[in-house]
Formats: sequence, structure tokens, C-alpha cells
Amino acid sequence: MRNRILTVLGVLVVIGAIMYFLGIRMTKDDLHISAAAEPLLCIGGTLNSSGELCASGVPFTNSVLMTILVDLILVGVAFGVGQNMKLVPRGFQNMVEFLVEFFYDFARGVDKKNVAKFFALPMTILFFFLFGNMLALVPGVGSIGVCRAEAAVAESAAAKPESAAAKPESAAAKPEEPILVQRFPAYCGKGNLFIPWLRAPAADLNVTFAFALVAVFMVEFWGFQALGIGYLGKFFINPFGKQGAIMTFVGILELFSEIMRIVAFAFRIFGNIFGGEVVLAVMTFLFAYLLPVPFYGLEVFVAFIQAVIFAVLTVVFAGLAVQAHGDDHEDHGHTTNGAVAH
Amino acid sequence: MSDHAAQLIGMALAIGIGAVGPGAGIGVIFGAAIEAMGRNPEAEGLVRTYMFLGFALTEALFIFGLVFGLLIGFGIL
Repeated sequence: MRNRILTVLGVLVVIGAIMYFLGIRMTKDDLHISAAAEPLLCIGGTLNSSGELCASGVPFTNSVLMTILVDLILVGVAFGVGQNMKLVPRGFQNMVEFLVEFFYDFARGVDKKNVAKFFALPMTILFFFLFGNMLALVPGVGSIGVCRAEAAVAESAAAKPESAAAKPESAAAKPEEPILVQRFPAYCGKGNLFIPWLRAPAADLNVTFAFALVAVFMVEFWGFQALGIGYLGKFFINPFGKQGAIMTFVGILELFSEIMRIVAFAFRIFGNIFGGEVVLAVMTFLFAYLLPVPFYGLEVFVAFIQAVIFAVLTVVFAGLAVQAHGDDHEDHGHTTNGAVAH
Repeated sequence: MSDHAAQLIGMALAIGIGAVGPGAGIGVIFGAAIEAMGRNPEAEGLVRTYMFLGFALTEALFIFGLVFGLLIGFGIL
């Protein structure tokens, strides 16, 4: 069995090397990375000259399309499972219940008393990013799309007559490097912009930032709900009180870290998913045959673990926020902690 | 130095220096987790959970460096 796998891998590498030297490969022009989600169409507006962003109107980006798709799948699954629930779960309901229960047990380990109150939001985040990241790894999601003429290139070439005159000369003298790839119907061609139909929701900073804002806002909301106005006592501590001036400084740091949480939440998942896409694209560009496979496996792992991390951190922060932690609440807080631990 | 050269140097520095700290941190996390698992094999599941939590939190720092490196390198920032 092992020999057979090795043989298949070896044959694939040889075929890949032959195709690479025949010229069926990616070139530097094909490597197009956009940190922002590309608009598929601008609602009530037009594209700007480079065709990459909306000049006016509301952009409808490929990331929005993917978000709607993931939402539809999630709502469909929820309705499909929820319509005929059975006491003894079987099949698909069993699988969904396993996912929910697995995370519920973990969240109960963090904060047993209040977990039922704030479990819905982290679970929603977990499901959304899990499905979104996994669906983004399906082949064709980032690679099927439309070609759009890069208007700015043509305009600048027309504006400068000497460069326009020089261009056909150099093109005639030096044929473009990959010969075979350009004959494929899927090839976009030089000077054209490739816009994929779908893009991972987490690879758009708007989506992750929105989720981070919602998560942090809800954490603060639960904090105020549980402790009332005394929640502010965690951040603004009287420097002449029992706790001392150093704790005042610590409180201000806490307040600052509370705000930085939004940025950290948003950039953590955006960076992981977007960075993973870039790594896959660069590996495909270096050697498209068999080299991206181990990185693909890593991306599957990252897609899962980052969704879990976002949800777990929301649970942990919510659990921290609802715990009383002031000087007059100190003894009270310790007894409740002890009760939770046992 | 041309703009492009400065961009490339900035990108390489961002990724290279950004990998130092998280590399050491991830080593510490996995080392401590393996030690804990060896000492207390019954707690392996729990230790693994928190190991991956710490791993992801530490790795996020490198990812910040990677993303900003890429943004600098492709001239977006």
C-alpha cells in the first residue's frame, strides 16, 4: 500500500515537472492578490478606472455573496434539523448535536454559571466561520470568476504616445513567456483583472471587523447587565483607595486592552485566512503540481482552529466580564469562584 | 534605494523579525504541553485543548507580521 502511494506521488511529480517545463504553469502576471474584497457590481454606481473598486454606489463584493451563501446554508440546516427533532438523535441531527454539545461542554468548563446566557453568540460565530472557512477551501471558490478589462492600463498607454508606440515593438520582439497557458479559455490575459465570484468571508476585513465589534459589544453588555454600573469599577479605580495608585494604572491598561480586543479579534482571523490564501496562491505560482497539497492540509487545520479560537475567546472574555472583581466585592467573588470550581 | 527595494526589505524584515518571538513562544507551549502530558497522561485531552488555544494565540502575532509584510510588499499600504 505504501509503495503504491509513493509510486503515484512519484509519477505525479514527474508529470508535473514535464508540464512545468512545457510551459503549462503560472507566471508572475497570474499572481494577483487583493487584500480588499473585489466588487462584483456597484449598486447604483460605477466602477472606478482601474476596475478594482467602486467609484460610487454601494459595492456588492464577492465576499458578500459568499456570506449570503453561507448564511443560507446555515439557516437551511438549522430549519431542516429543527423541523423534526427526535429525542434520540440519529444521522444528521446527531452530527449537529455533537458539534453543539462539544462546544457547550467546553464553554461550561470556562464558566458554568452563566454559560446558558451567552452561549448563542459564540456558537453562531463558530458555525459561521467554520462553514465559511471550510467552504472557501472548496476548489473553484477563489479560482472561478470573470475577467474585467483594466481600463487604467489602456488609458495610460493611450495618453503617452511614445510608450504606446514602443509597446507593440517590444511585444513583437519578445513573445510572452508562457505559451501554452494563454491558449486555455480560462486564461484572463495580460492587462485584464481577474475577479473571482466567491471569496472567503473571513478574508475580508469588513466581515471580521463586524463580528469583532458585535462580540466585544455583547461582552461589555453582559458585563453591565451582571454588575450594573459597578462594571466600570474594573477600569476606573480610585488612586487613593485601598487598592492603591498602581491598580489605577492597571485599570486604565485594562480599558485600553478592552478596545484593542476588537482589533486583535478582527486581525487574527483575517490574517490567518487571508495569509493562508496568499500562501496557497504563491505555492501554486512556484510549482503548481503537488507542492500546494501539504499547505492545503495546513489551511484546513487553520480554518477549523481559527473559528474555534474566535468563539472560545468570546466565551472566555464574557466569563471574565460577568465576574465581580472589585474591592468591596472581593470576598463575595472568591466564594462564587470556589463554588464554580467544585 | 528605490521605493521597490525599500518595500521588499520592509516585507522581509516584517516577516523575518515577526517570526522570532512566536517561534520561541510556540516552542515553549508545545514543550510544556508534552511535559504535562508525560507527567499526567489522563489529562491529555484537556492539555491538548489549551495547547492549541495557546498555539493559535501565539501564532496570531506572526500572522500580524505576515499580513502587514504582504501588504507592504504588494504596495497596498
